[in-house]
Amino acid sequence: MDFQPLPHAFPFRFADGVVERTGPAEGRVRATVTANAAAVRATGFPAAALAELVAQSALLLQGGDAALGRKGFLAGISDFSVERLPVPGDVLTVDVAIAGRLGDTVKLEGVVTDGEGRAVARGAVIVKQGS
Amino acid sequence: MPDDLKKRLKELIVRQLKLEMDPATIADEAPLFGDADGGLGLDSIDALELVLGVEKEFGIKVQDEEVGVKAFASVNALCDFVREKAA
Repeated sequence: MDFQPLPHAFPFRFADGVVERTGPAEGRVRATVTANAAAVRATGFPAAALAELVAQSALLLQGGDAALGRKGFLAGISDFSVERLPVPGDVLTVDVAIAGRLGDTVKLEGVVTDGEGRAVARGAVIVKQGS
Repeated sequence: MPDDLKKRLKELIVRQLKLEMDPATIADEAPLFGDADGGLGLDSIDALELVLGVEKEFGIKVQDEEVGVKAFASVNALCDFVREKAA
């Protein structure tokens, strides 16, 4: 079977835009959960999609652009906990910091916060850079 | 003491990678990466987790992937690397 790379464009783009960039792949990103987003289920925005959101946020902060193709992909999840699943209407902020890097493999710590300032998810994701 | 360092490193490997095995069963010379017989079969993601664990535990900075792969070839290699850096 020929696998096509997952696009970081609608409907698989979760990170809307950069709020603040504090370093390479570090800073704050905004994301809005919409009712017609492909990832949204009856229970809300899934936990796996929250991990993907952290990875996409890092790539966006690094300068990645869905229209220009990916600069990496989610390769692993580590100690990722979810307090609640966001629902349509939630405006999220994602704070991302680099925990470590080895070659093209990068570990990122992320905290996803809702509009009330409450953390909805936090943990680490592993991103492999390159398309 | 060298044996204490090896024991500490094996415990670090199991703890950092959340392996379900007795640290004492890891052979000193067994390759940590790849599919060789007796090896742990770790991959590049495990390598990053190990690098972070070693950096935190011993205060050692692993500079790049080449050094990382060489230093993390086996418990013995890792032991030599930590001793050299700590000296």
